[in-house]
Amino acid sequence: MEALRKKFSLTLPQNSIRIIRIIAALLLLALIIVRAMDVAAKSQFGADTWLRLSVSGLIIGGMYALIAIGYTLVYGILFMINFAHGEVMMIGTFGGYFVFEAFNAIQVSGADGNQLSFLNAYPVIAILLAFLAGMTIAALSGLFLEKFAYRPLRGAPRLVPLISAIGASIFLQNAGQLLFGPQRRQYINPVVLDRGIGWNLEVAGSTVVLTYTGIFSLILSAILMVGLYLLVQRTKLGRAMRAVAQDKKTAALMGINVDQIISRTFVISGALAGAAGVMWGIHNGLFNYYVGFLPGIKAFTAAVLGGIGNIPGAMLGGMFLGIVESVGPAVLGIDFQLKDVLAFTILILVLIFRPSGILGEALTEEKV
Amino acid sequence: MNKQSIQKSAASGMVFGIIVIFFALIGFTVVISGLIQKALGQSLGVGQMPSTSSFLIFLGLLGIWNGWRASRQDKHETLNTKKVLGRSTIAGLVAGVLVMVYALIVGVLDNRGINLRTYLSQLSSESVRFFLFNQTIVVGILIHVFYSTLMAVVGGFLALASERSRERVKSTRESIQKWSQDHWLGKLQGNPYVSYVLMGVVLLLLVLLPRTWGAYWNYVMGTVGIYVLLGLGLNIIVGFSGQLVLGYVAFFAIGAYTFALTTSPEPHNLVWNFWIALGVAVLAAALSGILIGLPIMRLRGDYLAIVTLGFGEIIRILLRSDILKDFTMGPRGVRNIAGPTLFGRSFTTDVDFMYLIILAVLLSIFLARRWQESSIGRAWLAISQDETVAQATGVNTQKYKLLALSLGAAFAGLGGALFASRNQFTGPEDHALMVSINVLVLVIVGGMGSIPGVILGAFTLKGLPEILREVENYRLLVFGALLVVMMIIRPEGLWPARRPKLEVPVGQDNEPVHLPATVGGEK
Amino acid sequence: MKTVLEARQVSKIFGGLVAVNKVDLVVPEGSIASIIGPNGAGKTTLFNCISGFYTPELGDVLFNGRKIQGMLTDKVAAMGIARTYQNIRLFKSMTAVENVMVGFEPHLKHGWITAMIKTPGYVKEQKHIVNEASRLLHYVGLAGLGDNLALNLPYGAQRRLEIARALANQPKLLLLDEPTAGMNPQETDVMKDFIRQIRDDLGITIILIEHDMRVVMNISDQISVLDYGQKIAEGNPKEIQANPRVIEAYLGPGAAALSEKYRREKTHDA
Repeated sequence: MEALRKKFSLTLPQNSIRIIRIIAALLLLALIIVRAMDVAAKSQFGADTWLRLSVSGLIIGGMYALIAIGYTLVYGILFMINFAHGEVMMIGTFGGYFVFEAFNAIQVSGADGNQLSFLNAYPVIAILLAFLAGMTIAALSGLFLEKFAYRPLRGAPRLVPLISAIGASIFLQNAGQLLFGPQRRQYINPVVLDRGIGWNLEVAGSTVVLTYTGIFSLILSAILMVGLYLLVQRTKLGRAMRAVAQDKKTAALMGINVDQIISRTFVISGALAGAAGVMWGIHNGLFNYYVGFLPGIKAFTAAVLGGIGNIPGAMLGGMFLGIVESVGPAVLGIDFQLKDVLAFTILILVLIFRPSGILGEALTEEKV
Repeated sequence: MNKQSIQKSAASGMVFGIIVIFFALIGFTVVISGLIQKALGQSLGVGQMPSTSSFLIFLGLLGIWNGWRASRQDKHETLNTKKVLGRSTIAGLVAGVLVMVYALIVGVLDNRGINLRTYLSQLSSESVRFFLFNQTIVVGILIHVFYSTLMAVVGGFLALASERSRERVKSTRESIQKWSQDHWLGKLQGNPYVSYVLMGVVLLLLVLLPRTWGAYWNYVMGTVGIYVLLGLGLNIIVGFSGQLVLGYVAFFAIGAYTFALTTSPEPHNLVWNFWIALGVAVLAAALSGILIGLPIMRLRGDYLAIVTLGFGEIIRILLRSDILKDFTMGPRGVRNIAGPTLFGRSFTTDVDFMYLIILAVLLSIFLARRWQESSIGRAWLAISQDETVAQATGVNTQKYKLLALSLGAAFAGLGGALFASRNQFTGPEDHALMVSINVLVLVIVGGMGSIPGVILGAFTLKGLPEILREVENYRLLVFGALLVVMMIIRPEGLWPARRPKLEVPVGQDNEPVHLPATVGGEK
Repeated sequence: MKTVLEARQVSKIFGGLVAVNKVDLVVPEGSIASIIGPNGAGKTTLFNCISGFYTPELGDVLFNGRKIQGMLTDKVAAMGIARTYQNIRLFKSMTAVENVMVGFEPHLKHGWITAMIKTPGYVKEQKHIVNEASRLLHYVGLAGLGDNLALNLPYGAQRRLEIARALANQPKLLLLDEPTAGMNPQETDVMKDFIRQIRDDLGITIILIEHDMRVVMNISDQISVLDYGQKIAEGNPKEIQANPRVIEAYLGPGAAALSEKYRREKTHDA
C-alpha cells in the first residue's frame, strides 16, 4: 500500500494539478487567517457582538439547512438542480402570512372579557395552523412542479430539466409578484412571538437579546431535521427513497413505484422549504415575492458545501453557511452589504477546490 | 362513456378552470380583454375597464379550447356526436363551476366592502365587477357556468368537424404545396439570384428604415438589435458549445463599465476615442471570459450554471456597493458616456446609433456563421453532445470551451458598450440577473445553436413586449412558462439549427489518400 | 516484431474493488489482440486505462515506448490511439460526415482566426477533410448515407460510423469494444471480415473486446483472458481453447474436467 501511494504521488500529472489546488487553498486560508487576525487586533467588536452575530447566523443557518435538504433530496434522486426550490419557500412564506392575517382579523373575547384577535387569544393554534398551511401549500407546489415541469422530461439530456426548472422559477416568482404585488409585507406575529423580545443575556457589559422568534425557529428546524433524518433512515418510504436514488431501474424491478417516490420526495422537500419560509417570515418580518431567491441560491450553496446528495451534509452546510455569512464580514472586516458576495464566493471556491463537498457526495457514479 | 374518459374530461375542465382563475387573479383577463377590444378597433382609455363583450370573446376562446382538448383524448379513436357532447359538457361544466366558486367568493367579499387589493394586488373592486360581467353576483356566476359549458360544447363540435374534414384539409394542403412547388417555389429555390435579391431587399430596408420610421422605432429596434448581439454571443456559449451560463450579464457589465469608465469625464477623466474604447471594452469582456472560465472549465453542466450565476450576482453587488464607489461611482452609475465620433464629427442621433447597431449585428451574424460552419463549430457541437467522447476523439475540450466562453463574452462586451454609449449612462441596475435570463430565454426559445432562431427570438421576445406595452408586466411570467413549455414540447426551439449537407461523392481520385480506395465489407 | 502497446502491472481500484489487478499486456505491431472474459472481468476498465479515461493507480501503459498513463484523452487520441464504445456513443445530432470530420480534429492546423477570415489554407484544409471523411464513409460501407443524422442511421451503420470516426484519428492502435454486440450471425461475419480488412489494408494494430467466440477464435493473433480483474491466460486461439482455467472461468469450477471428458468421448466415438 505504501508503495502504491508513493507511485501515485510521484508519477501522475493530474496529481500535480491537485497539489497546486491544495497549495492555492492553503494560501487562501492563510490569507483569510492573517486578515482575520489583523481585524481582531483592531478589536472593533466586543464579545457581545460576536455572540449576537453567531446566534443570528445559527438561526438563519437552520433555515438554509431546511431548504438545502430539499435540494439534496431532489438532486440525489433526479440529478437535477431544482432551481425553483427557493420559490417553493416563497409560497410557504405567503401561506403562513395569510393564516396569521386571517386570524388577526377574527375577533374573539378573551378570558378576561376583552376583545382579542384570535391570533393572540390562541397563539399556539395559530402558529400550528400557519406552519401547517405554509408547509402544505409549499408541498403541493412542489408536487405540481414535479408533475408539470419535470416529469415530462424524465430521461431528457441533463440541461433540459435544468432549463425547465429555471423557467418554473421565473414563472413562480413573477406569478408571486403579480398576485401579491411588489411591495414588502410585514408578518403579523402573535404577541408571544413578538420580534425584538426575548431572553436578555449580559455579556461583556452589554445586553444581548436572544429573540423568542429566533430560538423558536432554531428549535423547530432542529426538530424537523431530526424528523427527516429518521424518516429517511428508519421508514419504508425512506428506504424506498434511498433505493431510487441508488438505481431507479433496479428499484422499479423490486416493486417500488419510482414515480410515486419521486413525487413524495418533492412533497417532503417542499414541506421543509415551506416550514423554512414561515420561519423566515416570523423571524425576519419583512418579505415579498422575491424572498425565496437568495435563500434558494444560498441553500444550494449549502447543499454543495456539504456534498450534494448527502443529507447530514446539507444540514451542516446550511448551519456553516449561515454562520459564515453573518460572522464572516466582521471577521474579514468588510462591509455587511457584501455578505451575499461572501456566500457566492464560498460557492465558487467550494466548486473549484472540492466539488464533492465537505462530507463527500452521496451520488452513484455514472459510468464512462 | 367510460370512467376514464369522464376523468380525462373533468381533468381538462379543472385545468382550464384554474387557468381562468389564475388569469383573473393576476389581472391578465383585463389586459387581454383590453387588447382584444383594441384589436377590434375600439378605443380604450387609460385606466378604463374593457367592455364585457371583449371579455366574453376571451373567455369563449378559452372555453372552445377546453372543449376541443377534452373531446380529442386519443389520436386513434374516431369521434362521434355522443362522445363529443358528453366530454365537452363535462369539461365545460367542471371549468364553469370552478370559476363560479371563485367568482362567488370574490364577489361576496367585495360586496362586503373588504379591500381585496391589500392581499391580492390585482383584485380591485372594478376588476371583480368586470369578472362578473358588471351584473349582480348571482347573474354573473350563472353566466360563467352557462357560457363555459356552451363554449366547450362548441369547441367539441369544432374538434369533431375538424376530424371529419381532416382528410380533405390534408389533401387540399398537399395539392397547394405541390402546385406552388411546381409553379414558382421550386424554380425560386433553385435560383441563386433569388437569395441575392432577397439580401438586397433586406439591406435596402436596413438602410432606409432608420431614417424614416422615427425615434421611437429606432429606440425599440435598437434595443432589439443589442439583444440580437447578446443572443448571438450567448448562443456561441450555450447553443454551440453547450455550456449553460446564467451569468452572461457579467460580461455585458464588464463591457459597459469598461467603455463607460474610459470615455466618461467622471470618475477617472479618461476621455478616450470612441472606437478605441469600444475595442478595449470588447477585449476586456473576452479576457474576463477566459479568466472566469479557467477555474470552472471542469465543472459539470449544472454546476457551471450556478457558478456563473454567482459571478453575475457578485459583479452586480460589487458595482452597487460602496467599496468600489471611487472607482465605478457606486449605485449612482456612470454618466456622460461618449457617443461615436468619426473623423472629428460626432454621430449621436438615434439614426446614427441605429446604423451602428445594425452594423454591429451584421458583423456578429457574419462571424457567428463563419465559426459555426467551421471545424471549430463542429468541435463545439461535438462537445455539447458528448463531452467525454469528444475529448477522446481528440478534441481539446478545455481549449474549445474557453474559446466559446471568451468569444461569447466579447459579443456581450460589444453589446454592453453600445448600450452604455446609447444611453450615455450605465449603472448597476442595468446589469441585473434579468438581462441574463432574457437573453437565455430568447436563445432557447429561438432555437439553441441556430442563428436565425436567435434573431427571431430577439424580435419576438424583446421587440413584441416593447410594442405591446400592456403586457410588459407579464413578460417575465410568460418567459418562465415558455421555457418550461418549450422544453416539454419543442426543446429544439422555434427555428432549429439545420446541419449542412457536406458529403462529396467518392469514386474518382482527385487527391492523394493514405487510404486504399477499396470498398470495405458489404454495401 | 515491434511492440505497439505494452501494459505493465496495470491496476485500477474503485473504492475497495480492484477492477483491474496487475495486468500485463504486450501487443505487437500489426496484430489483432483480443481480450475476453466473463462480464465484469475488467475488460472495459482496462480499455479505459489504455485510452486515458482512467488513470491506473499502479503500473505503466506504454505506447510505442512512451508512458501515456495520466494523459488527457485528447492527447492520447492525438498520439494515435482511437477507440469505439460498447454502447454506441456518436454525436447524435450531427451528420455522419460531420461525425467523421470531428475525428480529424487532432490533425488540423487552422484555428478560429483563420476560420473567421477563411484563408486559402483553411479552405483547402476543410475541403481536404470533407473529401477524406467521405472517403472513409465509403470505406466503411456508408457511401451515400453521409448527410443523415447519426441518430437516424440503422444500428449496424452506427457501429461502422463509430469505426470510421476512430479511423479519422489516423490511429496506429484501434480499440474496439464489442464491435459485434447486438448483431445477427450474418452481420457478425461481415464485421469480422471488416476488422481483419482494416488491419490488412491500413496496417493498424487492433485490440478487441468481444464476447462472440467464433469471431475471437477466427481473427485473433493473440488472446488474453481476464477474470476478476486478473489475467488468467494468454496465447493463440488454440492454446486458449484448451486452457482449463479459461473454461472454468467461463463455465464454473469442474467444467474443465467435464469438457475434457466430453472431448475424449467424442474422439473415442470418432
